[in-house]
Amino acid sequence: MKTSAVFSAVLSLLSLASTGSAHGHHHHHHKHSDSGTSSASAPATFTPPQVFKNVNLVHIVSLEKNYVKESINVVIENIDKEAQSDYILPFTNEQLSRLGGVEVRDRKNAESGPFVVEPVEFESSGPNQYVRIRLPTPLAPGAQQTLGITYYLLSASKPLPASIKQEEQQFLSYSFSAYCPSVYTTSKQKTEVKFASTIIPDYTKLPGSGDVKEFPQKQGSKLVYGPFDEKPAGALEPVQVRFEFNKPVIHVSHLERDIEVSHWGGNVAFEERYDLEHRGANLSSLFNRVKWQQSQYYNPVTHALKEMKFPLRVGSADPYYTDVIGNVSTSHFRSNKREALLEIKPRYPLFGGWKYPFTIGWNSDAANFLRKTATGGFVLNVPFLEGPKQPEGVEYEQVVVRLILPEGAEYVITTPELPQRVTDIASHRNVKWTTGIPKSSISEAGVQIHKTYLDTIGRTALVIKGRNLVDDFRDRDLTVTYDYPMSAVLRKPLVVFSSSMAVFVSLWLLSLINLKFATKK
Amino acid sequence: MSADSLERLASAGKGESTRTLLRVIILLLVAGAAISSRLFSVIRFESIIHEFDPWFNFRATKYLVANGFYKFWDWFDDRTWHPLGRVTGGTLYPGLMVTSGVIYHALRALSIPVDIRNVCVMLAPAFSGLTAYAAYLLTNEMTPSSSAGLLAAIFMGIAPGYISRSVAGSYDNEAIAIFLLVFTFYLWIKALKLGSMLWGALCALFYGYMVASWGGYAFITCLLPLHAFVLICMGRYSTRLYVAYCTWYALGTLASMQIPFVGFLPVKTSEHMPALGIFGFLQLLAFLDYVRSAIPSRQFQTFLWVFAGSIFGIGLIGLVVATSAGFIAPWSGRFYSLWDTGYAKIHIPIIASVSEHQPTAWPAFFFDLNMLIWLLPAGVYLCYQKLADEHVFVIVYALFGSYFAGVMVRLMLTLTPVVCVAAAIALSTILDIYLKAKSPIPEEHLPEESTDGTSKKASKSGLRASNKPYIGIYATFSKVTVVGAMTAYLLLFVAHCTWVTSNAYSSPSVVLASRMPDGSQHIIDDYREAYQWLRQNTKYDAKVMSWWDYGYQIGGMADRPTLVDNNTWNNTHIATVGKAMASREEVSYPIMRQHEVDYVLVVFGGLLGYSGDDINKFLWMVRIAEGIWPDEVKEREFFTPRGEYRVDAGATETMKNSLMYKMSYYNYNNLFPPGQAQDRVRGVRLPDEGPVLNSIEEAFTSENWIIRIYKVKDLDNLGRDHASAAAFERGQKKKKVIKKKGPRVLRVD
Repeated sequence: MKTSAVFSAVLSLLSLASTGSAHGHHHHHHKHSDSGTSSASAPATFTPPQVFKNVNLVHIVSLEKNYVKESINVVIENIDKEAQSDYILPFTNEQLSRLGGVEVRDRKNAESGPFVVEPVEFESSGPNQYVRIRLPTPLAPGAQQTLGITYYLLSASKPLPASIKQEEQQFLSYSFSAYCPSVYTTSKQKTEVKFASTIIPDYTKLPGSGDVKEFPQKQGSKLVYGPFDEKPAGALEPVQVRFEFNKPVIHVSHLERDIEVSHWGGNVAFEERYDLEHRGANLSSLFNRVKWQQSQYYNPVTHALKEMKFPLRVGSADPYYTDVIGNVSTSHFRSNKREALLEIKPRYPLFGGWKYPFTIGWNSDAANFLRKTATGGFVLNVPFLEGPKQPEGVEYEQVVVRLILPEGAEYVITTPELPQRVTDIASHRNVKWTTGIPKSSISEAGVQIHKTYLDTIGRTALVIKGRNLVDDFRDRDLTVTYDYPMSAVLRKPLVVFSSSMAVFVSLWLLSLINLKFATKK
Repeated sequence: MSADSLERLASAGKGESTRTLLRVIILLLVAGAAISSRLFSVIRFESIIHEFDPWFNFRATKYLVANGFYKFWDWFDDRTWHPLGRVTGGTLYPGLMVTSGVIYHALRALSIPVDIRNVCVMLAPAFSGLTAYAAYLLTNEMTPSSSAGLLAAIFMGIAPGYISRSVAGSYDNEAIAIFLLVFTFYLWIKALKLGSMLWGALCALFYGYMVASWGGYAFITCLLPLHAFVLICMGRYSTRLYVAYCTWYALGTLASMQIPFVGFLPVKTSEHMPALGIFGFLQLLAFLDYVRSAIPSRQFQTFLWVFAGSIFGIGLIGLVVATSAGFIAPWSGRFYSLWDTGYAKIHIPIIASVSEHQPTAWPAFFFDLNMLIWLLPAGVYLCYQKLADEHVFVIVYALFGSYFAGVMVRLMLTLTPVVCVAAAIALSTILDIYLKAKSPIPEEHLPEESTDGTSKKASKSGLRASNKPYIGIYATFSKVTVVGAMTAYLLLFVAHCTWVTSNAYSSPSVVLASRMPDGSQHIIDDYREAYQWLRQNTKYDAKVMSWWDYGYQIGGMADRPTLVDNNTWNNTHIATVGKAMASREEVSYPIMRQHEVDYVLVVFGGLLGYSGDDINKFLWMVRIAEGIWPDEVKEREFFTPRGEYRVDAGATETMKNSLMYKMSYYNYNNLFPPGQAQDRVRGVRLPDEGPVLNSIEEAFTSENWIIRIYKVKDLDNLGRDHASAAAFERGQKKKKVIKKKGPRVLRVD
């Protein structure tokens, strides 16, 4: 139940009927308002109704990066007598905790936008859990629709062998089902597995069907299981592949990203704090500097993480790169009219099982992100996630984005119901926001008060927690709308001026007091 | 006298208020100069805590800020001195940490987002501005010329002798203690001059703060009684002295006893006895004063001799008995080494091993004080001329301070304030005489100065001087020459101070800088690389054994428990580590197992030519270990029969088999082509065959090999000893390695 509860919290943002369903957080109570329908019910058990049939299914498992990206392209057909709108996708309980970035679109109709995805809640913590995909328009009996489902699984592949030598090649293994897990009967399907290299020493072989003698078929850096003929609902065929992945397996367990807007300074300041670790094969014998130094002479491909590249928005300036014990001097920032590339090296090469938490930050001209609306409000448009761009990919288990608005800025409600708005109950601060990140990957959003730099009432900070994201979602937008009245703009100079005047005046008054005894001669 | 150019300029304006404004502006500029000249390391490197001890202070401050004052007070630190631990809250001077904590919380309360690290880094420069102001106040008590005070302020602000301990990042007790020292002296002079209990109480208050901040408070504890004693001997006993001293002593001693680390020391140790003795002596004098006023003078003579003699005798016998019975501790080792500079080397090698405890070399005086050192005698001479109570203080302080500065390098710090004061008096006197634009005129033509305190003073001491002709400088040429020369000296002084600060005192020593061939700066950051590795990739409670120098840094940066650190409270524990380093693996391994050591850290400068490495410190480890185990560790065995300390093929067997030698050079020869391995610190070629390690294994070596970390192996699974197990492993491995290496090299080429 636990995981599905978490997942429900994720999705409850979208699915809100009444204004009173605030979640019990101390600081960021929030009420949501959405045009959504009723939230998923929680019966004791759940059995997916057999109302669809998978006419044709192509399952693509991409192991090119250090996370797993799975796409399911499926033609579904309503075999029920009534129009149906809920397509169910099965996951194991364990998968659900590592699942992120679920996006479903209509393959035939690209404009129809992402569909609503939410977990099915029921009172069972058993291994079988389900995700419900809501079709925007119910599918009539006998009608067909083509769905493109993509999702990501983090921490999915394991190093095999689990520990290797410093100079050896790293191999990962991944287990999955050759038949795409489905709660419906699948008439025809195949599973493609894509790899980053052609070296795939081990994979489970299955007896072939039709003119193919044996599955899978190897095509370069691709394995193809199938096509298979009709399989019943819930049919599984566990297979395992072991493949070369001589690149670092970068896992960010926690990323805090602060975005601070300053209207006075015309600046947007970014700071990101990474808890980074290498999830790959550990060293079987301890780190040997001589070997490392000698191998660096040839600059070979290695599974150690030596460098990360952060392509920042053009116009970014004053970058810094520190860790818990101070500045790290091994960084390089290349900035010109076309790019702003921050290249950083960890203090030491990172091998499997090693950790390296660090902090980077930079400034950017507010004009790059901020624009004024016709009504006098402001619209801030920043990337939800930036982070390193690595050929091997980066996965983020938890992302906390904190967007700090200027003191006194908030969204003033003009119409009673607006989508994607959060309010801090205690202070009645509102923020209106939207993001391009899949809704299923956002677990929580709220408003906090952030006090800094001589603030008196504190700044409105929008806090959005994401989970199980990957670097494919770099540069998806986060848009925030707020008002910033002139009284709020002038607040700080007035406060500073009046309080320093008060100090001077009181000092002057104190100096008038004579503490000496009267001396008479 | 008051007619120097500045005030002449000022008198053209509004007089007193303009002067005050100018003085405030000048003092602010002095404070600005003092602060900014300490920022070299922040600008060149970063805002970072320097060296060794500051890392502990920083860690303690973070603990204070995170856990609050009472937890800090009761802090038992089980992450140092494993397995003994340290009662940290009771064995430190909390003044520094509490000061930063208060500043941090005050700024936070104003919602100024400041990092505790930056508070700590900037504390010393900020306090140096205050020290300059305190020097201004102190000097103003000595001379009526306010320009002397301003000169003293700028001298104090930029004298390298003080900068050496107060650059940004040098977060040590001295950072605030020198301010407190100077300010306490100022309050003492003020109290003495006025005979005021209020000032005496203020003096005691700051003395208490000083005691809470630095072990060097004993300097005040000894200097003030000495000053009082000298005054009494000069026949200058007065009620002013009685009031000032007794107020200070009574309140100050009570205040100092509130610090757990000091506790009952003020009534138990010999260092504090002079203060107590003078306190008693003053009571006697006051009593005698009273008796004298009550009985005829002849009877008083007899009474005085009998009374004084018996009291002295009783006091002396009491002190001897109390000391021998153990009520009063005899002088501590550190104090002995102040009298006999050779004492520590023989009896306490751990004190002698610290470079800042060495006797001062003569050039160091010039290096740290430049022209001030030759202005000091002139200033002291001028004090003799006036010889009021406060001038006696400067004379006593100068003599006392000079002696100690000559004995120990780091006590140059306590000498610096008096040098600044005396030099400012001397220089301002010269300038006051030579800067008068007009030629001197007879005294009756100076009516406008009659209100000034100076001329009053002149008329008071006029008894000797009135019948002499007024001496002044008449020739413009001599004025210009002397003023020009003094200006040049001052400019040279500023240049010297800047140069010394920039080149000698602004290196964080955690980060090293070198130049690339193209002239750009290259940072060598091996310490933090290795410490960060330890912090991130070892168990949280993995014990690290290293020489004590690195204990505080490992605690602060790597956040791992250590066996010994710079606190050096337990000599035996340090000797144990020394023994483990100096012995053969078979001897060291059980020691490491008994102390649950997981990692051993050594500093090796051979690749880079970094001379402060462990092989160069090795003899101190040997000596300290020999002090406890003279039969097992012998310094002589680390020298060749010809008396050389060698690390190359000619090194002694004891040296080659010592754990330290092995850890330093393990695998090092593989970095070079055969026969080319070179140690760039010692400048020698190393043997082709590197040392073999059996019971520990290399875990991490930093980029430039400065830090090498070894993991202590667990006991062998099959119950073999490590040597045979390792030999067996090597026998198997060798084939494998050859097999693998061949094709790999071919493929890469």
